Amino acid sequence: MKPIKVSLISGSPKPLSSSSGTLLDELKPMLSSRFHVNIHSLNKPSVPEESMESILDSDILIFSFPLYVDGIPSHLLSCLYEMEIYLKRHARPDLTVYAIVNCGFFEGHQALPAIELVKNWCYKVGVSWGQGLGVGGGGMIQSLSGVPDGQGPKKNFSIALNELANHINTCSEGENIFVSPNFPRIGYKIGAEMGWRYQIKNNGLNKKDIGRRLV
Amino acid sequence: MKLIIHDLDKIEFERLLPDLPDSCRVVSNDGTIKNCIGCFGCWVKTPGACVIRDHYGDMGEWLAKSDEVIIISKCYYGGYSPFVKNVLDRSISYIHPYFETRNNEMHHKKRYNHTFETSVWFYGDDITDDEKATANKLVIANSINMISSIKGIQFVKSVEEIDGGIL
Repeated sequence: MKPIKVSLISGSPKPLSSSSGTLLDELKPMLSSRFHVNIHSLNKPSVPEESMESILDSDILIFSFPLYVDGIPSHLLSCLYEMEIYLKRHARPDLTVYAIVNCGFFEGHQALPAIELVKNWCYKVGVSWGQGLGVGGGGMIQSLSGVPDGQGPKKNFSIALNELANHINTCSEGENIFVSPNFPRIGYKIGAEMGWRYQIKNNGLNKKDIGRRLV
Repeated sequence: MKLIIHDLDKIEFERLLPDLPDSCRVVSNDGTIKNCIGCFGCWVKTPGACVIRDHYGDMGEWLAKSDEVIIISKCYYGGYSPFVKNVLDRSISYIHPYFETRNNEMHHKKRYNHTFETSVWFYGDDITDDEKATANKLVIANSINMISSIKGIQFVKSVEEIDGGIL
């Protein structure tokens, strides 16, 4: 039986230690043992030559990327366009695509336009759309990686990731899912703002500089 | 000031807007733009300005000086072209990193006591209805997050169709 090839693609501009990569790390153990999984990082505005064939020779693609200005980060958009060109010469109608979008805002539903962009890309390049997952509270994803699945602030997220994994494992299409952390929004806001103040002081600036106006 | 962000080549742009008033600033693709690296330096290292000092590092300041932003972009999958999106990704220094709740959603606060209008022209000969729907959602989300108002969202098949009254 031919192995099913799956490419997990981080679309973060950070090659290491990204929330997008952490989400793929959480998803990977939930995927079927029948899958042959490859991991790729598209962190520059061009797909490395050696990765293009490997990625588009897959049966399933799973993109994980941060929400940038309500959409796809520009470097990843460039990569998708390069893939569109490649797929015009090498059609892959049996390829199915899933997308996980993490946003710094609390509400995962703010990722909807970005998920739709990936879905529209699928139609444009002649591959199948699977499902999208919008994850809110992106600023806390990495700090939660040690929290057991389904517990505390990860409760909604774990349920959603399981649902996505079930669709991936059966290569089926599902409705988009949007989740926010099981954590008070005000707590997330306070924590994020403390983090900004900590970083600006570490950079030798005053906390008032955070609101600096240049005009 | 009017800020025009576009992805047209020099000849196409000059044909579209041959007599540009001095009150306009134009952001064109000179082939040198670097992509946002997600470092948040524009919020915590050099607040208000991007740490990448290419020709696009002052987008936040330019937005703060603009009354109107005109975007002309080829439509890619229901969104902006990679260049135009890159310019917008490099523009988040315009807003403040702190959050506030508006319409029961989390958004960033204003850095400047200022707002601007946005007009978007998407061009392309094969823009689907789904792509138009996504593009509308995207521009609305941008206007909420950049704390601006929408003057118009237009879809045209070719650059030639863009109204001469764009300004």
